Parts: sequence; C-alpha cells; structure tokens
Amino acid sequence: MNSTHFPVYILLILLITAIIIPLKKGRYDGLFRIEMSIALGLALLLSFILFMDVYRTQAFYYTFGSWDSTIGIQFLVDDFSALMTLVVLFVATLIIIYSLRDIEHEIQKEQLFSYYSLIFLLLFSMIGMIFTNDLFNMYVFMEILSLTSCGIISIKRKKENLLASFKYLMLGAIGSVSILMGIALLYMVTGHLNMLAVRETISSVWQLYPRNILISLGFILTGLGIKAAIFPLHIWLPDAHSNAPTPSSALLSGLVVKVYVFAMGKILFRVIGQDIVKAILVPDYLTYFAATSMIMGSVFAIGQKDIKRLLAYSSVAQIGYIFLGIGLATELGFSAGLFHVISHALMKSSLFLSAGAVIYQTGKRDIRNLDGIGYLMPVSMGVFSLAALGMIGVPGLNGFMSKWYLSLAVLDAGKPVFLLVILISSFLNSIYYLPIIISAFLRDSKERENVMVIDNLPKSMMIPMVILSIACLLTGLFPNIIMNIIEKAVPTFIL
Amino acid sequence: MKTKNILAPKKLFPDFFCVNCVIVFVIYIVMLAVLILASSIGFGFLPEVFDGPRSIIGKFITLLADFKPLPLLVVFLPLLGGPIEAFMGKRSENLRDTMVVNSTFVTFLLILLMYPHVVQGDLAYTIPGVMGYGLSFKVDMLSYIMSVTSGVLWFFVTIYAHDYMGIEHHRNRFYLWMSITFGGILGTVMAGDLFTMFLFFEIMTFSSYMLVAHNQSRESMLAGNSYIFMGVAGGLCILLAMILLYAYTGTLDFVPLAAELQSLGWIKYVMTALFVVGFGIKAGMLPLHIWLPKAHPVAPTPASALLSGILIKVGAYGILRLSLSIFMPNLSEITGFTDPLWIVSKNLGFMIIWMGLATMAVGVFLALQQSNMKKMLAYHSISQMGYIIMGVGVASYLGYKGGMGFAGSVYHIVNHALFKSLLFMVVGLVYLRTHELDMYKLGGLWRKLPFTAMVCLIAALGITGMPGFNGFASKSLLHHAIIEAYEYGHPSFRYAEIVFTAVSAGTVCSFIKLFGLVFLGKCPEKYKNIEGEKGMMDLAMGGLAILILAIGHAPNFLMEKFIIPSARTFTYEAAFIDKYLVNINFFNYLELIGMVWVYALGALVFAFGMKLNLFHIHMYEWLDIERSIYRPMYRGVVSASKGFTNRYEVAIINSDVVIYSFILTGVLFVLLRFA
Amino acid sequence: MGGIDVFIDNINYIGAFILFVIGLYTVLTHSNLLKRIIGVNIMETSIFLFFVSIGYIKGAQAPIIDMALGDIVYVNPLPSAMILTGIVVAVSITAYALSLIIRIHEAYGSIDLNDILRPKEGESNE
Repeated sequence: MNSTHFPVYILLILLITAIIIPLKKGRYDGLFRIEMSIALGLALLLSFILFMDVYRTQAFYYTFGSWDSTIGIQFLVDDFSALMTLVVLFVATLIIIYSLRDIEHEIQKEQLFSYYSLIFLLLFSMIGMIFTNDLFNMYVFMEILSLTSCGIISIKRKKENLLASFKYLMLGAIGSVSILMGIALLYMVTGHLNMLAVRETISSVWQLYPRNILISLGFILTGLGIKAAIFPLHIWLPDAHSNAPTPSSALLSGLVVKVYVFAMGKILFRVIGQDIVKAILVPDYLTYFAATSMIMGSVFAIGQKDIKRLLAYSSVAQIGYIFLGIGLATELGFSAGLFHVISHALMKSSLFLSAGAVIYQTGKRDIRNLDGIGYLMPVSMGVFSLAALGMIGVPGLNGFMSKWYLSLAVLDAGKPVFLLVILISSFLNSIYYLPIIISAFLRDSKERENVMVIDNLPKSMMIPMVILSIACLLTGLFPNIIMNIIEKAVPTFIL
Repeated sequence: MKTKNILAPKKLFPDFFCVNCVIVFVIYIVMLAVLILASSIGFGFLPEVFDGPRSIIGKFITLLADFKPLPLLVVFLPLLGGPIEAFMGKRSENLRDTMVVNSTFVTFLLILLMYPHVVQGDLAYTIPGVMGYGLSFKVDMLSYIMSVTSGVLWFFVTIYAHDYMGIEHHRNRFYLWMSITFGGILGTVMAGDLFTMFLFFEIMTFSSYMLVAHNQSRESMLAGNSYIFMGVAGGLCILLAMILLYAYTGTLDFVPLAAELQSLGWIKYVMTALFVVGFGIKAGMLPLHIWLPKAHPVAPTPASALLSGILIKVGAYGILRLSLSIFMPNLSEITGFTDPLWIVSKNLGFMIIWMGLATMAVGVFLALQQSNMKKMLAYHSISQMGYIIMGVGVASYLGYKGGMGFAGSVYHIVNHALFKSLLFMVVGLVYLRTHELDMYKLGGLWRKLPFTAMVCLIAALGITGMPGFNGFASKSLLHHAIIEAYEYGHPSFRYAEIVFTAVSAGTVCSFIKLFGLVFLGKCPEKYKNIEGEKGMMDLAMGGLAILILAIGHAPNFLMEKFIIPSARTFTYEAAFIDKYLVNINFFNYLELIGMVWVYALGALVFAFGMKLNLFHIHMYEWLDIERSIYRPMYRGVVSASKGFTNRYEVAIINSDVVIYSFILTGVLFVLLRFA
Repeated sequence: MGGIDVFIDNINYIGAFILFVIGLYTVLTHSNLLKRIIGVNIMETSIFLFFVSIGYIKGAQAPIIDMALGDIVYVNPLPSAMILTGIVVAVSITAYALSLIIRIHEAYGSIDLNDILRPKEGESNE
C-alpha cells in the first residue's frame, strides 16, 4: 500500500478527533473512551505502516496541494521522523489510556472534553513539527504546541497551576517571538522558507551577509533554548511539570520537550548546515550548556521534596544529555543524542505515570512519606524502580545504553572531559533516586503492616505503566533495533 | 525485632527438609568424590559405571555436558528460580527451603558437568546482539574454580539458612535476592568479556544490597546506604575505564592487550587506576573498605557468610582477570622476563602489592580491637583479602615469573571462602542460641555446643595456617610469592615479608582470643541452659569442615588439578611453573619451622594483650577514614545541593526574563565576533 | 550623508528592533502581569513589522496582478500572508493569557507578581 499520504492522514485523524470531541456533549463514559482509543489506535497503526514503508524504501518529500516548494508547505518523511512519530504516538497512546481513569480525579467533569481536545491538538502539532520541512510551518505548529501545552497545565484549576501556566505561556511567547525574529532574519537574506532551499542558498549568503545569519542563529537558539529547557532557560519547567495533572506531566516531559530538541537539531544541521555551524563554534557552546544542565539539573533535584518536582528537574538533566549528543556534531554524537530522546521518553513517562499512580491511590507526594509504599503498590513502585535504575545507568536498561553510546561518541569527538561529567551526573542521579526506592521497599510504613498486595488501581492505569517499563527493558537489552534505524537516518541529517 | 523461632526445638521426627538435606548432602559428597576421581584418572571409569541399563543416564550426562549454552543455563537457573521459590514460599516455608537447596544442588551439578569442556578449553558461548555488544560466556579453569567454590558455598549456606532464618522477617524476600545474587555471581565469573562481566556485576551489587539491608533496622539501613552508594560509585569507575578501553583498543574481550596499550601514554594508568578502584571497592581494599565492617554485622549470618565468602572475592577476581588479560602481553610477543611490554603489569603490581599489605595490616590491627564477633570476622575478611590482593599484585608485578603469586591468591580465594563462611556459621549458631554477639560476654560454650566448638577450632586452625589444614598451603604459597617479589624485584619488599609474618601472628592471636573467650573458660550464668546443637546447621558446618580437612591433608590435589592448569592458560613462564609449582612439597622443614615461630609470636601477643588490656584501644577519631573523608564528602554533596537549591531556586525562578535577556545578549555578542 | 541614508532606508528594521527592546524592557521591569502581557504583545508587533518590511521593495507595485502592466516588480505578498497567521497566533496567545490573568486574580486576589510570590518565598519547595 502506498503510504505517501499517510502523514496527512495521521494529522487529519488527530485534528478531526480534536474537533469532534467538544461537539459530543454527552457523558464522559465508556463509549467516548472507546472512540478516542480507536482514533488513537488508528493513528498509531498508520504511523507504524508509514514507518515500515519508509524504512524499507527511502525518504520522500510530500508537498501539500502540489504547490511548488517555494510557496507551498513541504513535509520531509525520512527514517528518523517516521520513527519519532511512531514513538510519540506509542507513548502518547499509553499515556492517554492511563489518563482515562486518572484524569477524573484531577480536573472537573465539565473540563474533560476540553482536555482531550487539547491533547489531540497537542499530538497533532507535535507530529506536524516532526515532519515539517518549512520554517514558518514549524513556527505555526510550535505555537499550537505552546498554547495546547499551557492549556493542559492550566486546566486544573489550582492556584499554582494557573501561575505556572502563565509563566510558561509568557516565556514560551518570548521564545516564539525570538524564533520568529530568527526566521525573519533568515528569510530576509535567503528569500526561502523551505529548509532545503535555505540550505542550498546559505553558503553563498554566508559570504555576503554573515551578520544576519549570526543574529538569526542567536535568536533562534535562545528561543528554542527556552522551549527545550537548557539550563539557565529551564525556569518554567519545574513549576509547570510538577503542578500539572499526571498525564500532562508525562506528555510534556517525555515528548513535548524532545520535539523542540529535534527542531533545534533540524535547524542547526539541516537549515544552516554543519560547516557554518561548526565554524562559529555553536556546537561547542551547546556542549558547555549541556554539561551545566546535566550537573545543575541533578543538583537541584537532590534538594527537592516533592516527587514530581524532582522528576521535572531530572528531566532538565537528561535533556542536557541529549544536547551533549547533538552538540558534538558528529554522526556518533547525533545518534547517541537521538537514542537518548527515545529512551528518555520511555523512562520519564514510566516514572511520571507510576508517581501519578501513587498519588492517585494514596495522595502522597512528599518523598519523605513514601515509606513502605512498595508493599502497598508493588506494581507502581516496581515500574518506578526499573525506570529509576535505568536513569542511574544499570546495565540491562536503556538508560545504560544511551550513556554507553554517548560516552563513546564523546571520546570519538575528542572531548574526554564530558565523560567525567556524564559519570558524575549518573552518580548524582543515584543520590536522589535510590533513597526513594529504598524507602519504598525497605522502610516499614507507619500505618500498615508490610504485607505485599496488588495495587488498587484500575487496569487501564496499570497496563500502560507495565508496557512502558517492559519497553524500557527491551530497548535496554536489544538496543540494536532502534540504533540501526537511527544510524541509517543520521547521515541524511547531518548531510 | 521479634525473635520467634518457627521451628520447634526438639523434634522427634526429622521433617521433610531435614530428610531432603541429608539425602542431598550424601549425593553431594558422592559427586565431589566423582569429580576428584574424574580429574585424577580421567573419565575412564565412567563408562563402566554407566553401562547397561543406566546408559541412558550416561547419554543424558554427555548430552548435557556438550550442551552449548550450558553456561547460560547455569546462570539463569538461580536467576529464574529465585522468583519461583519466593512465590512458593507464600504457601509453605519448608517447601521453599527444600526447593532452594535442591535448585542450588542442581546448579552445582551443572557446574560440575562443565568440567570436561573446561579441561578441553573450549567452553565458550556468545549471544550476539544483546545490548549492542553481545553477551559472551567463557569458562576457563580460573572461572571454573570460582564457580565451583561459589556452588559449594551456596549449597552449604542454603542448608544452614533454613534454621537460621527462623529469627528473621521477610524470609521470602531473602531467598529471592539470595538466588538472584547467586546468578549474578555465576554470571560475573563466567563472563567472557568485560561487558557481560559488568552487567552481572551490577546485578550482583544491587541484589546483594537487598541482603545487607534485609533487617531494616537503623544500622542495616545505614550500612546498606554506604554499601550501595560505594557499589554504584565503583560500578561507574569500572564503566568509565571500560569506555576508555573500548574507545582506545576497540575490544572488551579478555585478551592480552599489553601491546596495544603500550602506546597510549598516561591514559593506561588512568584506566588501571579506575579498574583497581572499581573492583577494589568490592574487594574491600584499603582505603575503600569502609562498607565491609558495617555491612557484615547487620546482615543475617547466611548473607554475611556469602558476602565474605564469595562476593568480595569477585572483586579480587576482577582485578586478577584484568591484570591477567588486559595488561598482560601475548605469549608470542615477549622475549622473557625483562621484556618492556611488562611495564604496565609491573607498575600495576607494585601498587597492588603495597595496597594489599596495607589492607592486611590494618585489617588485623582493627580486628584485634573488636569485641563484636561478626565485626571481628569482617575485619579479618579485609585482612585476608589483603593476602589475596597481595598475591594478585605479585602475579602482575613479577609478570612472566608471576606463577607463584597467581597460584597463591587463587588457592587462598578457595580456602578463605571455606573457612570464613564456616566461622560465620559458627558465630551465627552461637548468636542463635545466646542472642549475644559480644565475645567478652560469652564463655565456656564447649559444653553446650561441642560440635560447634570443634568445627570452630578446625576453621581457626585453617585461617591461621596450621599444617594439615587448608590455610597452610595457600599461606606458604603467598609467603613464597612475597619472597620472590623481593628476589626478582624491588628491594623494599624485604619489609613486606616482615609485615606478612606480623599479620599472620596477629591472626593467630585474634583467633586464640575468639576461641578462648567464646568456647573455653567459665560459662556465664545466663547461658548455662541454652539449647544445644542444631541438626541441619551442624550438617552444613560439618560439610565445610570436611572440605577444609581434605584440602589440608592433600594440598597438592587442588594445585595439580585446577590451579596449575589455569596458570598455564595465561602468559606465565612454563619452566618456572614446572620448577616451582608442580609437585611442590608443602610440608618442608623451613615452612613448618616458620609456622612454629608465627604461632609462638601470636600466643605471646595474646598474652601481652590480655594482660595490658591492649585490645580496647580507641583510635583517634580523625583516623577513621569514614568519618574524616567519606561522610564529609557525601554529606557535603547532599547538603551543598540542598543549600544551593533552597537559596537559589526561588530566585532563579523569579528572574526568568532577566536570564533570557542576559543569554540573548550574551549569545549575540559571542556570535557576532565571527562577523 | 551616507549614514542618514542608510538609517532612513532601513528605518523599518531599526524601528522593529527598538520596539523589540521596548517590549523586552516592559516585561523585565514591570511586575504587573497585565503589563507583562502587553510587553510580549509589543515584542510580537515588532516582529510583524520586521517581517512585513522584508517583503517591501522600493518603487514596486502592490501585489495584485494586472495584466495590462506587463512584467513589473511586485511587492512580495508572502510575508504579509504569513504575518496574518502570526497576528492570529499573537491574538490567541494574548486572549489565553488574559483569561489566565482573570483566573489568577480570582485565586490570588492580585495581579502583581510581587504580591503573588511573596508568601511563597517562605515555603520555597516544601
């Protein structure tokens, strides 16, 4: 089956579902859930077929409405975009299935329809951003993403959510403004908005108007830096991710931030091209910021007492890893960074979902109150422990493999200092993850006896968590499945 | 902590578990005898036994022995058996314990079955593609010795644990993690390259943590914390060294790499240091030993026995493996003892010998100060590990002529496993009966626990090196090794020999103290009516004692059949091995006189110590490494993070746009330099 | 008078930058949430000005094709089309932010950032 039009189909399914949901003013009941799951499942299936097709044949360009690329919008469907779409839809499906029960406890019934509508729009914009090959199109999808991600935070009507969402919105708006300024400057000198076209003309432009390109790059990097949460610009992340409802935190931390990182990679390497970028030493500065992120994220995480805030800061540190991979600007580094995108998406989602399950059943958020919870909720804490061990870097899990690939890439690029940074940050990770696991399983809870029972969770919450942690384990034991695809895709990226 | 004992004290009929254990024990002795015969006179006698109607058994055994993934099966049997046994434990404790003993026994049988192929030297199995690099198992004679030792040890400890665990909670969890640790250890020693070894090493660290922190008392949690954090740090050091090795040489297999390493400059010293630190944490080498004396007293006794018996040996095994493979040149590449390719090995060995000596001395000195029996045994473990580490050091220092050091350390690994776990079992039984761990408060227990007293004496004689018991052979080998280091190497090792003798004397003194204070003398009032021996625990202890005596009376057997063949697989000078190690006469005049001196010195120190009350010296607080270095380091990191967070987090969050403007101007400024 | 000429030719761009900085300054120095949003709005407006100015060609015809005039230079219509999208985005962000401000006012009783955050300083991350 020719899957040329599949990207559009996927987007259409998500968009139409998002629009139809508020029209169904019925009750939030089983039928509604089934319909949503069917829509998601269909999108997942289509993305899977698309991925297999692209993997077997080759990447292709898809122009909307067959307009010429200079005035039309073009999608580039290559190996890695297809893989990332698949991963995004896979994780998102699991998170949404989880949320079907969980969300009733967090937001009011009237808001549920709006919530799911926002989530589908979020997915729509994420996939659009992954596929797009046009700068302004990317900006539009970025704005939709920004608005919907603020929306799914503020939909919970608590005080802190509103403030956190406002801050995110404001900073996000400033970021988008910077990015648009950067795009404007690029358009000014190259006259194209299509990424490939810009790439073709940029080497000649660079001789004529270097200042424009430099200012544009500066604006774009800072703007994307805010959205992708590099260290000093990560400020909105702890409040936003910790106060949001659990499925939103999982989506935001696990997927949304990654898409921005991917966008930065695209802009740096596909639009501007690595010759210019390396000549102005941008990758080096990126690695310095990444190293700071890795250490400071963990340092701040050690001082946290709320479990979701701790996970949010841990995300900051992990995003530092990804930026280190991208900042090395070599093929190995890029593949390692992309591998970590996928493995962190899996791990962080399992962590957030299991933390959410604990909050769902017991209402406890403070890590000092989690004594003995492993006996009350062994499945959730088992998932948490597995993902946390992956973060620390225990072999057999995908976190270890991404650290391994990243370290080899660092040595290959000739910067052994970062090796130390990676390992120190792993040790710092263990300082704040291990006490949680230890107190969950090895401390006697003050309220009840330590007899193991199965969690009191609905099946729709337990199964996605377990599937995510099994995925962590599988990608840890057999990383080749993903690494082969990434290694095949990277040379086309770096061009 | 409730101390209810689930077993009634005096049973008229032995229960299912006891019957099972006795049967398995007898079969076990038979299998060991078979192994001894097989290694002595070859397999000639087997077809006769298995002819006729029992040829099916013969075929089955050959089928299993030729089974390619046999190492995988050996590793996964305990790993998978653990959860199954824990699940069974919910229904019946006896059933679970029986299953544990039997599965350990079956694993041991499978290990024995590997023997024919190990002798041929071709037992290797790889699973490509797992974890990107591929898992590989390779069992050569050295790995085989380690796996047989761990199999033996695990078998006896599981028999022992059944009775001891009556006083502990969460028994299912204990057996689960014990089995997983067993699988981890087998995987580590049977690994064919560094990657697989690291995988199982980490599994082993995390599962043994659960054993250490089992009690969940405050001291257990603190001990567990120091264990796991040091374990994780050690693992990260090994990982860093592995990455460096892979990036610079492109391989992680255990092949002689000294030629490639030679051109690397100072990186290779960084690598060796990281490896030694990483494995040294596990081995209890000074100054990384601090977790050991905290972990052993708080762990349940079977866990302490395993920890001291085999887990810390894995650390020494790691260092040994590395110095034998990666830092050793290929046989074809060297010209002899003075070939410059031995440089790395030499420097590595020099450092390790001195660290081993320091470990020995400090271990014994601190052991003499202890009154808690388990803590004393823990410090003795550190001290004996010092012996082994010193042997490993000599093996790499002397390079081509290092056969003696190699033999000594491997022999001592086996011996120490046996007598140290036996000692822990003795202490455990005493604790079970008297609930007292302070040796100064006990006394005269030989009346009530005669068998225990006898095996304790056997073990004590073993650890101090009495001729006729197993420690003698390994200690004399190590003694020869250190003398050789002096002869062929640096003259400073003359003092090393003095330290060696002094430490042996100290060991003698310490065990005179232990045996005398606990078993001899007058029995305090409250222990006059304790219950006597416990059947199954005595069975386990007796088995270990038999092995100690057997090895002690025929020390050459282990040498000929296992240690020398394994030494030949590495780059050691064959002529040297033939001259000094083959058919070595352990019971020669010089050694025996030397032992007499050591014992006399030990008794003298004991007499002096008791008179002058030298055994209760409280050291200066600042000498305690833990208090002066480790704890401040750890606390420093954590409190710095927390302080930093508290002060700056809110400020940073409130100044968001300011940061943005700064970064924007900064980025533009930096970039515009290129315009 | 080369300098003034350059200045006048590029006055759109310079004006856009000045507006950007004014907007940024507003966001930086005011603690009132409403003023901050207006600051962001000003920044967005500056971008629109910048973008539209890109398309302008001096002396060119408005971009409505007139066959009678033949082949002449038209002003680039593309930026204007894109900016329409941009304006929509800016409006929606502003609308959302304003509704958030209303809710924040309901919840906290004030829309001044100092008042909202001051009681939180004592708690930090507890």
